[in-house]
Amino acid sequence: MAVTKEQVESTLNSKLNPSHLDVSDTSGGCGASYCVEIVSEQFEGKRLLERHRMVNTALAEEMKQIHALSITKALTPQQWALQNPPPPNPQSPPAAA
Amino acid sequence: MAAFRWQFAACPSTLSDYSPVSTATLAWTRRRQNQGHRNCNSANIKTFHGLSYSGGSSTCGGRNRSSVRCFSALTPELKTTLDKVVTSDKVVVFMKGTKDFPQCGFSNTVVQILKSLNVPFETINILENELLRLGLKEYSSWPTFPQIYIDGEFFGGCDITVEAYKSGELQEVLEKAMCS
Repeated sequence: MAVTKEQVESTLNSKLNPSHLDVSDTSGGCGASYCVEIVSEQFEGKRLLERHRMVNTALAEEMKQIHALSITKALTPQQWALQNPPPPNPQSPPAAA
Repeated sequence: MAAFRWQFAACPSTLSDYSPVSTATLAWTRRRQNQGHRNCNSANIKTFHGLSYSGGSSTCGGRNRSSVRCFSALTPELKTTLDKVVTSDKVVVFMKGTKDFPQCGFSNTVVQILKSLNVPFETINILENELLRLGLKEYSSWPTFPQIYIDGEFFGGCDITVEAYKSGELQEVLEKAMCS
């Protein structure tokens, strides 16, 4: 039985408690391959390889049925904030003369 | 200078499903390839048990008469062989297909990156051997392919290699490996 996107999201949410998570089915809806973008405090102090291993471990059961998993981003909240700065506040209109 | 090429070849099980023990044999051949002569004249062939299990059926349950125990594809012999393979070259890529004919987009990406950096690397086609494919997942603690080893150490898969290439970290690691 194919793994659904919701299953992948649910598993990652429960195991890594991410502040940001984006899971895309890249197999055209077949549930065979996924692309994951994840931000979690649990990645703090861990090298990229270790972070990917954490995601792989979290999805160990799902991986038995998924053909391919691409982890495009595995960042800490700080790194995510640097890459995605909040938009500047629009300037307030000049005061009338 | 002669080039050495690793080749894994799987021998089929010779016992029937109802035999108490079914054994798959993993044979590796280290071939000496002289320039212009791809067929080896002498080969050092070593065979060892890559997998053994009791029960008769290849999956749990079914027609088993005796209890089936779970098995690990990473036998001590396979682990010893892989220890040698990952250190036989500075850069070793376990991939789907070969460097000349990759059979997977992710594997191809890694091959193209390494070719663009002009570093020598060895590739091993895991599609040719199911036991090797399963054993490597345990050996590397990594569920997918390609798997890149640099200087005997697991570096990562395609995503990590791409990120490291973009950041320049891959080039640094490769340079350090080549100089060591």
